[in-house]
Amino acid sequence: MPELVVENIQKRLGQTAVLRGVSFHLNQGEILALLGPSGSGKTTLLRSVAGLERPDAGRIELGGKVIFDAASQFEVPAERRGLGLVFQSYAIWPHRTVYENVAYGLRLRRVEEKEMRRRVGEVLEQLGLKEMAGRYPHQLSGGQQQRVALARALVYSPPVLLLDEPLSNLDAKLREEARAWLRELIKQTKSSALYVTHDQIEALAIADRILLLEDGQIQQEGTPEQIYAQPANRFVAEFMGSNNRLEGKLTEIQGEQGCLEGNGWSLWGQLRVPKKQADDATALIHVEQVRVVEGPGRNHLRMQLRSAFYLGERWEYLFAAGDLKLRAWGQEPLPQRDCWLFVPAERLWIF
Amino acid sequence: MRLSPLRLLPVLGVALVVLGPLGLLVYQSLLSAPFFDPTASYSTEAFRYILSNPDFHRAFGTSFLISLGMTSIAVPLGSLLGFLVVRTDLPGRRWLEPWLLVPVFLSPVVVAFGYVVAVGPVGFFSLWSRSLLGVVPWNLYSVGGLIMIAGMTHVPHVFLYVSSALRSLDPAVEEAARVTGAGPWRIAFTVSLPLVWPSILFSISLVFLLGFELFGLPLVLGDPGGLLVLTTYLYKLTNLLGVPSYQLMAVVALSIVVITFPLVYLQQRLLGTAARYAVIRGKGQAFRPLPLGELRWPMLALVLLWLLGVVVLPLAGVALRSVVRYWGEGVSLTEVLTLDHFRRLVGYPNLVRGIINTLLIGGLGGALAVAAYAAIALSSHRWQSPVVSLTDYLVLVPRALPGLVVGLAFFWVFLFFKPLSPLRSTLVSLWLAYTVVWLAYGLKLISAALLQVAPELEEAARVTGASQGLIYRDVTLPLIRFGLLGSWLLIFMMFVREYSTGVYLLGPGTEVIGSLIVSLWGTGALDLIAALSVVEVAIVGLALFFALRLGVRLDA
Repeated sequence: MPELVVENIQKRLGQTAVLRGVSFHLNQGEILALLGPSGSGKTTLLRSVAGLERPDAGRIELGGKVIFDAASQFEVPAERRGLGLVFQSYAIWPHRTVYENVAYGLRLRRVEEKEMRRRVGEVLEQLGLKEMAGRYPHQLSGGQQQRVALARALVYSPPVLLLDEPLSNLDAKLREEARAWLRELIKQTKSSALYVTHDQIEALAIADRILLLEDGQIQQEGTPEQIYAQPANRFVAEFMGSNNRLEGKLTEIQGEQGCLEGNGWSLWGQLRVPKKQADDATALIHVEQVRVVEGPGRNHLRMQLRSAFYLGERWEYLFAAGDLKLRAWGQEPLPQRDCWLFVPAERLWIF
Repeated sequence: MRLSPLRLLPVLGVALVVLGPLGLLVYQSLLSAPFFDPTASYSTEAFRYILSNPDFHRAFGTSFLISLGMTSIAVPLGSLLGFLVVRTDLPGRRWLEPWLLVPVFLSPVVVAFGYVVAVGPVGFFSLWSRSLLGVVPWNLYSVGGLIMIAGMTHVPHVFLYVSSALRSLDPAVEEAARVTGAGPWRIAFTVSLPLVWPSILFSISLVFLLGFELFGLPLVLGDPGGLLVLTTYLYKLTNLLGVPSYQLMAVVALSIVVITFPLVYLQQRLLGTAARYAVIRGKGQAFRPLPLGELRWPMLALVLLWLLGVVVLPLAGVALRSVVRYWGEGVSLTEVLTLDHFRRLVGYPNLVRGIINTLLIGGLGGALAVAAYAAIALSSHRWQSPVVSLTDYLVLVPRALPGLVVGLAFFWVFLFFKPLSPLRSTLVSLWLAYTVVWLAYGLKLISAALLQVAPELEEAARVTGASQGLIYRDVTLPLIRFGLLGSWLLIFMMFVREYSTGVYLLGPGTEVIGSLIVSLWGTGALDLIAALSVVEVAIVGLALFFALRLGVRLDA
C-alpha cells in the first residue's frame, strides 16, 4: 500500500516553473530517490511534501489521508504532518545538546519523561551517539552532526522520512561508508524514505526506486538497474554514467537497430526513439561498455590511442580516428598506438 | 503563512504610534489656536505667519548652511578613516576601532557644553592659550565653529557605513590594482572608494539629514552668538509669545519634516542600490592590508588627534568644570578644586529623580523597547506580505522626525487624548516617545541578529511539530539571545544619552539627565550641568565598557 501519494504537483517561483506536474507514490518500507541536476526541482518537491513550500496545484496524500489539496485549498501545516526531515545543512540547533535536539520532537508530542529518555537513548545507541548525548553540536564532527540530524528525525517514528542531500556535506570517504549504513538503518527501522540527491552513485546505491527529475518533470521512474541500463530518453542516458557521444546519419534501419554513419566510420546501435533512414542522430554509449579487442569484426573500429591516464583503479584511454573520439577504460597500459575497439550494438543507444 | 494576531498586532501598534503623533502635528498646524482652545478653527494663518517670518528664514538658511558644511567635513574624513582602518596597516587599527564609534554614544548637549568650558571664550584651553601665546586663535561661537564641531562629531556616522561597505568588498580588486602598480592612495581614490560610492552617497544624505536635526550643539554653541537653526527656533518659539503658540510650533516642526522626509526616502533607495553594487568576498578570505609606508605614523597621529578633539577635549572640559568652584581669567586651578557640585546634586530632589529616571528608562525602558522591537521584527520575520513592506515604510517615518519633534508630538498626544492624560507626567509617556525615536535603529539591531538564524533551524522545528509560537520560543529567541542582550546595551546607551525627546515632556516625574541639562542651560547653572554631565558620561561609559567586554558590535 502506498504510504505517500503525490499527484500532479506544480509550483511556480515568479516567472519560472519549478515543478511542472510531478506525480509519484512511495510504498511502505521503500526508499525512493529523487535524483536530478541542480535546479531540477527535487528539493522543492521534497519541501512541498514536508509542507515548507506550498505548491500551486496538485494533491498529496499521506497514509491514506489528504494533507494537501490545491483544488480545495486544503493544507495540513508542516508541524502537523508528523514527518521527519533531515536537512542538507543538518540544521541541528546549536543552543541545545545532542540529547535535547533529539528529544524535542518527543517533548512536543508530550511523551512522558521516562519514556522519552528511553526512546532517545535507543536512537542514540542505534546511531552510535550514546557518548555524545551531553555535547553541543559544535563539539561534534561533521559525521556525528549528520547522525544527530538523522536521530532527531527518526526518534518519533515518522511514517515517512524525508532526506535532503543528507550526505553531501561529508567528505568523500565518509560518504561512501555512510551510504551503506544509511540504507541498512532505514531498512532496519522499517521506515519509508524519500531521498533527494544529485549524486547518481548515491541514488543507485541507496534507493529501491529512482525518480529522475529534470526541469520540473519526471524523466524516468524505475529501479536503479532500469534507470542505468534502459534509459527512457536522451536526457536520462546522458545524465547517468559516463558517456561517449557520436553524431552521424542513419544509413540503414533493420527493426530495432539502425546503422549510424559518420566521417569514415559506421556502427550499429539500438534505436531508442522512432527514427527514419537518412535522419541525423546521436548515439550514446557508456564508457565502460567500449572494449579494446584483438582484430576487426562487426561494430569494430580501428582507432589511434591519443592519450592514456592512470586513475588508480583503472586506466582511461582516449582514442581518435578522424573527427571521431572515443573514451574507454581498461586495467593496463596499452603498448601499441593503433587498436581495435568493440562497440556493442545493444549498448549503443541511438536518439 | 496565515494571518494571526501574533503577526498583525505589532504592525498595528507601529502604525498607531507612528501615524498618530504625526497626524496630530498636521492637524494642529491647520488650526488657528492650540487644539484645546475651544475657539480654534481651521486656518492657514500659522503657515502664513511662519513662512513670512524673517527669523524663520534666517534659521532655515543657517540650518542649510550647517548641514552643507558638516557634510563636506564629515564625509571625506569618515570615508578616509574607513579606508585607513579597514584596508591599510594603520598601527593599532584593531584596538582603535571601537573607540572611533564612541562619539556616537556621547550626548551632543554634553559635548557642546564640554566645548564651551574647554575652548569657549573663557574656557580652560582658551585661557591657557592666551597666557601662553597671548591670543586665542579660535572663535567657538560662530557658524564656522559650529560647522567644524558638527562635522567632526559626525565622522563616525560616515565611518560606520563606508567601513562596512569596504569590508564586504573583495580585497582581490585592490590586490589587482596593487599588482598593476598602484600605491595605497591611488588604490583608495581609484578603486576602493569609487566601489563603495553608494555607501558614500548614503552617508552624504544621512549627514545632511542629521544636520537639520541638530539640536544640542546649536542650542549650546549658537546661543551666545544669537545663532538660530530650525530646531532651536522651534524650541525658542515655545516661550516667544507668552501664550502657547502650538500652531506655529506645529508648522515649524512640519517644515523640518518636509526636508527630512525626501532625504530618508532617498536613503532607502540608496540602500537598495548599495546592496546591488556589493562585490561580496569569499568567506574567511585572508588578505594583506595595504602598506602605508612612511605615512603609517602620521596617519595614526591624525586619527588620534581627531579622537582627542571630539572625545577627550570636551569630556576633559566637562570633567574639569565639574570639580572647580568657578573659573575665569587669573584663577589658579589648584585653589578652586572642589567636589561640592556633586554634593549639591543630592540636594535637588528633581535632579536625583532625573538620575534615577535616566537609569530606569535606560535599563527597564530599554529592555521593554528591545522587547517591542523584537515583537515587531518577529512579526515580519520570514513573511512575504504587503503588510511587511507597509511596516518598512512606517518605520521610515520616525527616522525623518528629530527627537525634539517626536517629543513635542507625544506631549500633545497625551494632552489631546483625555484617557491618556494621567500618563503624561509618568515615565510611560517618555518611554513611548523614546521607543518611537529609536524605532528604526532598534529594528536594525534585531534584524541583524535575526539574519544570523539560518531558516532551516526554524524549519526543522516546524517539521518536528512545533507551532509558530513554539518555534520562536524554543529556537529563534534562544538563538538571538546574545543579539538581544547587545541590542539592550546599545539601546540603554542611546536612551541614557537622549536629551531632545524629553524636552517637552519634562515635568515632575519625567525628569531625565538629558532634558534637565537642556533646561538648566537656560538658567546658566554651569556647576550643576557639569556634574550631571559627568554622571551621564559615567553611566554611558560603564555600559560601553560592558558592551565591549561582551564583544557587542557597536557598528550596527
